[in-house]
Amino acid sequence: MEAKDFATKQEITWCPGCPNIGINQQVREVLAELVNEGKIKAKDIAVSAGIGCHAKNYDYLNVNAFYGLHGRTLPVALGIKMANPELTVIGIGGDGDTYAEGIGHFVQNCRHNANITMLVHDNQNFALTTGQSTPTSEKGFKGFSTPLGEEESPMNPMSVALASGATFVARTFALDMAHLKETIKKAIEHKGFSFVEVLMPCLIFHNNMAYLRKNVYKAEGNDTGDFKKAMELALEWDYSYEKDQKIPIGLFYQIKKATFEDQWAHLGKPCYLIDRRVNWSKLSEEFK
Amino acid sequence: MKKTILIGGVAGQGSAVTSRLIGKIFCRLGCFVFNYRDYPSLIRGGHNFNILEVSDRPVYSQSEKYDIIIALDQKTIDLHQMNLKDDGFVLASSRLRAERMKAIDTKPILEELEGPQYLENDILIGWMFKYFGVDKEFLFEQIREAFGQNSEKIEKAIEKGYLLAEEKEKLEKKEGNYFISGNDGISIGAINAGLDVYLAYPMTPATAVLHYLAKKEKEYNIEVSQLENEIAVVNAALGASFAGARAMVGTSGGGFALMTEAISLSGISELPLVVYLSQRMGPATGVPTYNSQGDLKFAVNAGHGEFPKIVVAPGDSQEAISRTEEAFYLTAKYRTPVILIGDKHLGESDYTFKELKSSSVSKDRFLSKNLPENYKTYEITDSGVSPAAAPGQGPVVRATSYEHDEYGYTIEDAETTVAMNKKRMKKAEQIEREVSRLKPTAVYGDGKNLIIGWGSTKGAIMDALPELDGFRFLQISYITPFPRDIVKKEMEKSDQVILIENSVTGLLGDIITEQTGLSVSKKVLKYDGRPFTADYIIRELKK
Repeated sequence: MEAKDFATKQEITWCPGCPNIGINQQVREVLAELVNEGKIKAKDIAVSAGIGCHAKNYDYLNVNAFYGLHGRTLPVALGIKMANPELTVIGIGGDGDTYAEGIGHFVQNCRHNANITMLVHDNQNFALTTGQSTPTSEKGFKGFSTPLGEEESPMNPMSVALASGATFVARTFALDMAHLKETIKKAIEHKGFSFVEVLMPCLIFHNNMAYLRKNVYKAEGNDTGDFKKAMELALEWDYSYEKDQKIPIGLFYQIKKATFEDQWAHLGKPCYLIDRRVNWSKLSEEFK
Repeated sequence: MKKTILIGGVAGQGSAVTSRLIGKIFCRLGCFVFNYRDYPSLIRGGHNFNILEVSDRPVYSQSEKYDIIIALDQKTIDLHQMNLKDDGFVLASSRLRAERMKAIDTKPILEELEGPQYLENDILIGWMFKYFGVDKEFLFEQIREAFGQNSEKIEKAIEKGYLLAEEKEKLEKKEGNYFISGNDGISIGAINAGLDVYLAYPMTPATAVLHYLAKKEKEYNIEVSQLENEIAVVNAALGASFAGARAMVGTSGGGFALMTEAISLSGISELPLVVYLSQRMGPATGVPTYNSQGDLKFAVNAGHGEFPKIVVAPGDSQEAISRTEEAFYLTAKYRTPVILIGDKHLGESDYTFKELKSSSVSKDRFLSKNLPENYKTYEITDSGVSPAAAPGQGPVVRATSYEHDEYGYTIEDAETTVAMNKKRMKKAEQIEREVSRLKPTAVYGDGKNLIIGWGSTKGAIMDALPELDGFRFLQISYITPFPRDIVKKEMEKSDQVILIENSVTGLLGDIITEQTGLSVSKKVLKYDGRPFTADYIIRELKK
């Protein structure tokens, strides 16, 4: 298979030059490679998307897909996995979607460790609603809802994911295609909850392209099994722009742990294939 | 024979467990029992009590006057002895004080048995069953079955009490009956319907369904999970439904409020979903362990936007079973949400039946086989129902909260928007025809005056009916789609139409007027958190 086999004929409605276009291309490249390597089946891929610019991927990926509600990418992904553990489940969310509306689900799904990949397209603003601040917007960010500048300091999703127990924590950069592709592939191959933070400029409302290009560097040779080292990497950049700070990208942390679906191994196969004829007299006997 | 027994104590003393055990034993003797449970929102202390209505004929509600009060603490006596019948008495340890009392000196017995204190309940149980002339061996068989290896001390305590009593009645053992709560009815109805996934966040009074199904997870090979909140619960259920599972969620009013956005999503994405809404007294946290029917219009109107919806209200545990099975059938076939609306009184009361029947509705998953390469998730058909598929079957399957074309791709054009709304609403016509064959209403008794009720009020109304001249009872079980022709006909041929509802304003009355243009002539409403009794209804209707 080729990346184009995972494309659809829908008209692309992202802004011209939006890094989402590149992310979509790399996701399709990875899916084609994994299918060709016999690691996944095309018919068994299922994508869950929230609401926001990231979520337009629903229309631009030719795979099973669920375009859910704002903030609810992860519960839907978890439900899909519950009903059919054979599916390769990929959640796609934005920073507003995942870290504002859906932060509770994000923390809990890091804990659950279901075999799901979560890609967060972090452009540090709500773009589809015309540029309001999100939990990762930097202090001083001026959007229509914060004309005097955002008052809060940004949250750090990398440290939140680590502290919440995610078993795969990585960051990549939307303008580094090779790195993007390699990271997404590793994440899908990870058995457990894999979180990938994708840093991306929003050309219209949050154009941090020059800063990211200047400061992003690849973390290499780091011990990905060492939680403390991973946390140090996570804290290297505080998502602010006041001065130049190094921004590590790469795999910060990866460990093996039992998955959420291991606890319902009794199901054995996709729910829709289970014959559920029940012996009524046995079931009701308990109440006699 | 008809006896009313109240059992009360502080929370943790075991009045709920004891009353359920007593109820079950009476049922196995062939009696009919109704077990009402009353408790505040706390774990230790306070005042919990149960009222057991025991009869040789069917009973569906609790009475207001008691034959026996089994008191585990003084508060039970102080609060309830004024409601003893003239020949009634308090049965309790001699450490307590009551006006008319059968006092048992439990202290030496407990010392002899070397405790624990809860054995006092068993001493009293033993006394009571001897009083009713129940065979000792039969009684011990029940105890051994209920407590297994731990039954030895309990048996001894029961025997001690048994030996102290004199036989007053002579209960002969007949064919045993079934004893089941509404929540257990919902649970086994769901299992029998082929439940795959049950998700919930704990909330009284729906929690018992989560507990029961979690206990049965391995035996029936189902997936039961408690997620972080009701929003996660319902969205995960829709994810599971998308992937081909029969999914159900359960909650009460507050949790249901959090779920409403996803109920709307179920409507537009056409994903099957069963929502069990077990009402309690609101608004907001309200009176959390007490009863209300105040969420009816909220359920009927739940979810923004317009889409077909089904709201069905079981009136007792047997109906809880069959209406739950119908809910799974309808949601699978028509791919739109079904709200199963109950309340605390239905969910947590135990009812007696000679047999438990399962519904004859199809258990099909309604998933298409031989799917075309060019499969369209939202294909427009004459019936409005598109052939359904699950991811993994082969072709790409989609689900979306956006308006969409037949493939499920996002659209915003006027023409497709209209076409898709028409498609979905076409299903409402099919559902209406289908529901008309599922006995959406029932009429009991005859008379020129009509009582209308829904849900758990059925029990007290049924028990009141034989005492009321000139009244018949119309039970409305499907609220959406509303059986307007039947209701209209019944109302038009009646002198007086009386709505009985556990609410402040009489919500079904508004729905009746909206649907039929007719109004009820009188409303008998109760909103103190306590369910109706037959006596209450009789008093109100004889005014």
